[in-house]
Amino acid sequence: MRRRNFLQILAAAGALGALPPAALRALADEGAGVSVEQLPPLEGDLTLYLGRGEGGLYENVLEAIRQRNPKLNLRVRTGPTAALANTIVAEARAGISRADLFWAVDSGALGLVAEEGGGHVLPEDITGQFDPLFSYPKWAPVSGRIRTLPFNTERLTADRVPDDIMALADSDLSVGWAPAYAAFQSFITAMRLLEGEQATGDWLRAVSRRARNYAGELGVVMGVERGEVDLGFANHYYTLRLKSGKPDAKVDLAFTEKDAGCLLNASGVMALSPSDTAINFIRYLLTREVQSYLATEAYEIPMARGMGMPPGLPPRDSIHPPDINLTRLADLRPTLDLMRDVGVL
Amino acid sequence: MKRFLSSMLLITACAAFQASPAYANGEIGEHVNDLEAHIDDYTGEVRWFLDEADTIVDRYESKPESADPAKLIENWEAVDFHAAIETSFVPVYASIWQGIFGVHDGIKQGKPVAEVREQQQALEEAMWQALGAVKLAAKYQAEQPVASDTSLAADPVATLSEVREQLDRVVAKYAERDLEAATSIVHDTYATRFEGVEGALIEQDAALVEDLEKDFNVTLPLRIEGGKVPVAEVKSVVEAMQVKLERAQALLREAEQNRRSVF
Repeated sequence: MRRRNFLQILAAAGALGALPPAALRALADEGAGVSVEQLPPLEGDLTLYLGRGEGGLYENVLEAIRQRNPKLNLRVRTGPTAALANTIVAEARAGISRADLFWAVDSGALGLVAEEGGGHVLPEDITGQFDPLFSYPKWAPVSGRIRTLPFNTERLTADRVPDDIMALADSDLSVGWAPAYAAFQSFITAMRLLEGEQATGDWLRAVSRRARNYAGELGVVMGVERGEVDLGFANHYYTLRLKSGKPDAKVDLAFTEKDAGCLLNASGVMALSPSDTAINFIRYLLTREVQSYLATEAYEIPMARGMGMPPGLPPRDSIHPPDINLTRLADLRPTLDLMRDVGVL
Repeated sequence: MKRFLSSMLLITACAAFQASPAYANGEIGEHVNDLEAHIDDYTGEVRWFLDEADTIVDRYESKPESADPAKLIENWEAVDFHAAIETSFVPVYASIWQGIFGVHDGIKQGKPVAEVREQQQALEEAMWQALGAVKLAAKYQAEQPVASDTSLAADPVATLSEVREQLDRVVAKYAERDLEAATSIVHDTYATRFEGVEGALIEQDAALVEDLEKDFNVTLPLRIEGGKVPVAEVKSVVEAMQVKLERAQALLREAEQNRRSVF
């Protein structure tokens, strides 16, 4: 949906009154993003459940919001994303509502809460900020990470890397992977949902014959860089970070097209209470300042439309992730069963 | 050394009382939540334990077949002081186990009394050092309120402090000869703590990350495997990792200071 169309729909729905005029002007300005300067101050009590992620940078964002809003009493409970999602569901079943917001590194956890009836439908000025592929009624994606194929630049050139993830099974390239890693399992879940169990099982079997296991995906990228394997499967930011610390690293990124190999998954936030403060807090996370902070400092992909990609990634419109409901990635059990059956886990 | 102990205790005491970690030796007991009130009991236990150890070694000296070194382990597992030091300062806790097994194995293997006495001496030193550490931890515990549920998550530097603390536990578990626990702590620490911060660290020093990756995934697990090497060897690998982790913390601290602000 183009922004102008989006604004017309908002106007028709009467939703524009929810935002100050300056913010509306920013929305009308294609590509600018809303600035924090245009948002109302946050006041009152707010409890946020935060699934841990990105080594403290999310906390930096929260601290900055706190400092900017002295009348906001922000309480934060941190923990593993899945555990917090289960807590929210359990609290809801017990008739308790402790959290006003849930910021999760894993969209599957948001899906779990939403499926159980948790979360409030977000105003359209929020949901309309995203590419339709990433627009969900009850939660807003904040920042994303894309699956990539890091390859060793001394062993391969980009044109030798297939742009179809399924075709990799028929190539003779050696591969590094981290099957025990959650991001890898989400990638296989996406493949299972897009290509089916049989094709995914066949792919795993074929690739495993030329695969080397690593404990984590940074390890995969480092293994690729050392030339232990031709290429690997990893989220994009490991390569960008390695190249930041070692600019001459012999590794570059390749992307597949519209398949699980370039799955774009996202952290996201949902409002568990309908208060204005909770909704405005979500708007803060989507401001150009926060989005650009997460892009430059954590190499995460801004999910609000019109924001630039992290340094080192190609422009957003040259990357074509698959059309998949991210909340379905929580359906991990069949993936784990399949990986065990095939013997890669 | 005293200063080092103080700063380490500040870290470990804070960590110990913000969470209730599981330990391999069963119930921890409520007493660890009020160390200060139990210092006299702990002191009595240390004296009793060392007297008993002395009796065992005396017996070994006079009538070797009458000495029962397994009693040392039983006695250590029976005292509350065991949990007090385990939750307060793991490095010394590891030294105690090292001393206990030094005496135990010396007797079992029929080593000369002088060698067993040497081990007994090391055990005594570790026990008194441990009592000092618990006293210091008691002081910090009294001064440090328990962290509330609303505190922010640990930043990468704090996470690396947790990593260092967990590595001390690895030595402790190896010294206890609980190889499964030692190995599992290494893997868990890598997967749930170190792995989460190495992305930030690699931006600062890629070679350091590469080095630590190897330590976590190869060097340390290989030393632990089979339980064949002396505790000192595992300890030395961990100490080398601690130095690297300290450098990692300094780098991350500096990077955080130079980080742009959000707004």
